[in-house]
Amino acid sequence: MKRLLVFLAFTALMASDAPKKPPAGEPLVPPGVEVDDHTLEVLRRINSVGPYEVPDIRLRRDTSYAKTPVDYEPFGKIKPYKEHFLEQMQYNGPGRAIPEPDDVNTVKIGFIGPIMSTVSIATGGASHEEPMGVKMLQGAKLAIEEANAKGGYLRRKIPFELVVTNDNGLWGSSGNEIVNFLYKNPVWAILGTIDSANSHIAIRVALKGEIVVMNTGDTDPTYIETNIPWTMRCIGDDRQMGYLMVDYMIRKMDYKRIAIIRSSNRYGRFGVREIRDSARRLGRPVVIEMAYKLGQDDYSLQIDRLAETHPDVIVHWGDAREAAIILKQIRERGMKQPFLTSDRAVAKEFVQLAGAHAEGVIAGYPWNPDAPNPRYAEFRERFRKRFNDEPDTYAAHAYDGMNMLIWAIQVAGLNRAKIRDILATRVKPWPGVTGDIPFSATLDDAGEVYLARFENNRWRYYSREDLEIPRGYVPPRERTARELLTQAETK
Amino acid sequence: MKNAAILIATAISFSAAAAGQEAEKLPFIYTKWKQFTVKDGLPDDHIFAVKSDGNRIWVGTENGLALIDKQTSKVVKVWTEKDGLPWRAVTGIDVDPKTGDVWLALFGGGLARLSGGRFDHWHQLNSGLVNDVVYGVAVENDNVWAATTAGASRYNTVTGEWTIFTEKNAPMEEIWNYGVHYRDGKVHLAVWGSGVLEYDVKANRWKDYLDPDGEMEIDLYRDDGIVHVITTGANYVDNVLWVSSYFGVCRYDGRNWRAFYNMDSGLPSDFNNNLRARSGREAWFASDKGLGAIMDAETNTWVAYTRDPKSDTGKAVVTRDKTVLETVEMGLNLPHNFIISVDVDGRDVFVGTAKGLAWGIGESYYSGLRERPRMLAENKGGEK
Repeated sequence: MKRLLVFLAFTALMASDAPKKPPAGEPLVPPGVEVDDHTLEVLRRINSVGPYEVPDIRLRRDTSYAKTPVDYEPFGKIKPYKEHFLEQMQYNGPGRAIPEPDDVNTVKIGFIGPIMSTVSIATGGASHEEPMGVKMLQGAKLAIEEANAKGGYLRRKIPFELVVTNDNGLWGSSGNEIVNFLYKNPVWAILGTIDSANSHIAIRVALKGEIVVMNTGDTDPTYIETNIPWTMRCIGDDRQMGYLMVDYMIRKMDYKRIAIIRSSNRYGRFGVREIRDSARRLGRPVVIEMAYKLGQDDYSLQIDRLAETHPDVIVHWGDAREAAIILKQIRERGMKQPFLTSDRAVAKEFVQLAGAHAEGVIAGYPWNPDAPNPRYAEFRERFRKRFNDEPDTYAAHAYDGMNMLIWAIQVAGLNRAKIRDILATRVKPWPGVTGDIPFSATLDDAGEVYLARFENNRWRYYSREDLEIPRGYVPPRERTARELLTQAETK
Repeated sequence: MKNAAILIATAISFSAAAAGQEAEKLPFIYTKWKQFTVKDGLPDDHIFAVKSDGNRIWVGTENGLALIDKQTSKVVKVWTEKDGLPWRAVTGIDVDPKTGDVWLALFGGGLARLSGGRFDHWHQLNSGLVNDVVYGVAVENDNVWAATTAGASRYNTVTGEWTIFTEKNAPMEEIWNYGVHYRDGKVHLAVWGSGVLEYDVKANRWKDYLDPDGEMEIDLYRDDGIVHVITTGANYVDNVLWVSSYFGVCRYDGRNWRAFYNMDSGLPSDFNNNLRARSGREAWFASDKGLGAIMDAETNTWVAYTRDPKSDTGKAVVTRDKTVLETVEMGLNLPHNFIISVDVDGRDVFVGTAKGLAWGIGESYYSGLRERPRMLAENKGGEK
């Protein structure tokens, strides 16, 4: 009898932990949600595990981190002891077994971005990212509204709800905001942020609280270099844009003397890192790197120092306003060097402030708005209609990121771990308005990046192929599994 | 109590083959385990922090604080927000050895002190606490250190003075503090993006330990320094610094570094949420694939504890380098393989997992290695 009671108690216990399966006859995924066989199989597997099991799902594996050409690899003459980021991180916790709650009236998704002006220690003083954050919010809103117009969360026929919060407050407030998303006003996934200091704070909290953060506006390469299985990004990063810019400057244009001027905040500091390192690895060390404080009006000190080094080309990394002012001040003193800058210069503010000096400026860019992509054309029309304004890169990527989250929620149901799994194991690139978005093993956007050139009063976007920019050799095997290449073999 | 109280797997009957074996130097294996979950009175199964203090085990969960009495093995008290706990999620616990006060790191709720049955609460708006997302707390003499997501704060409990440490006054390249630990005159901060910072209390001086290769995507040489700049925990014992990270773990004896990875040791996974060092030779790592204990650093001898995901059983695997020396099947050891926190106290070990707490009882614990025959036989049943 005692044994029977123990058995019954155990059975009851296991039953309470057992994953909830859809009733027989009910489709695994609601009609109208696009899903391929691979994702369906993933869904079956993650639905079948209990709290103690980890599903048997194939983890993405890359042979090269970030498609890094062999001559850009750090310490290229040494075989490293260990390489990170080649195999996708798995979530090994019990979260998949948490059943979908019954008492929900809306499906909440968190938005965190710089949408209100503040003074922020993290972003280096007075806030400056609201124009980007507001556009990001508009893109996210549009995606939510469109999903609701199509029936909302189709399993329950309830609407999606965007829970919006600001992230550029004092004292690292993005952490507190994510805590709110976890406990006070719980959401199923989060979209954000732009400033990388805030992003890093947010994803550490998300890791502890086990919730997906889809980043659509922070191009800091280190954002995904954290081994956090809950972190993903749908925009090309500064590493990829930096590689393309160095390929352009050295492999194509053969510039010998590269000078850098950048903002002193994290965006500038980490944005130029791959440019500086890759140039050095190609034997053309950057001749000078000058930093400035955000919000300055006079850059003569920095420009004096740049001029002393007689650069062939000047690279700027910072916001649109600073890019324009620095460019003007460079040109006004007769310096005619080509001016390359980061993607944030591709903005109305830059063009207005730089005026005629904008002509010929080149910026790295994470996507190609000129590509013949009907999805973007249609999105642009809808965006204009809704907001009476043009979408920008932050709006477009937020729209894509939010649609990815919505899709994953439709497929996985209301379970944070399964939402993560569905996104993390997606094989086909996401067909976004910004182009196809394939994930790398780090769940970063591994798609192509571009160069934008300001020509005849507008930005035009060029691929590597368009400009015939040579590409370095990317070996098909990881560094620890291959022999060191000779100098000649890397050419 | 879920899965019953004590699971004893020590009655190991050695096989003929084992009996015929010569004794060799092997580490102690914990085969007696107790588990605690919500069924036993914990306020939540998601255990963020555990701290053993004499006869008490303090348990910080995602939704409340609990106290377990070691004598009775019962959860004797639970505090949630309804009971005055200032915030639901407790991510770090330390006990002041002088006063017995219990200090709590609150995940998004600041810092709290439980003293005389009352909670005192410090947060960004009423104190010098630099951020309300507090991951770790450590008592250093009259001071309490809080590792927050935007710097470290130090509170002097006698004078009431607060000191904030950020990139402005400490060698923090990044300010994302995660773990804090005090012992033998030194405070160690594990900082995401800034490796480990060491604060010498007497000298009032900082020292930083960074990854010498400076690259996120590789570890150039195994033993050249800290394993990665993103760290999750640091413990200093016997003049040895132990460090955990999501990229492996490492040890520094003041002269030499040694890194340990899953590929070259018994570490269950390179993803490690935290650690607790027992001595200069022994440390316990909270990985996402089980509990890894390096029992003899010099010989790279480990015991990795995991539970079977499909049954109420577990096992311990002893390795030297990557060679498996023995596998001991036992009754349930860990409630879950996703380990978040760990503490050692005396002969025992306490493990916070994503689905319950484990208490490993080491009645016959011995440090390092001893000559003993291998435990080859299985004992799946255990006693309930």
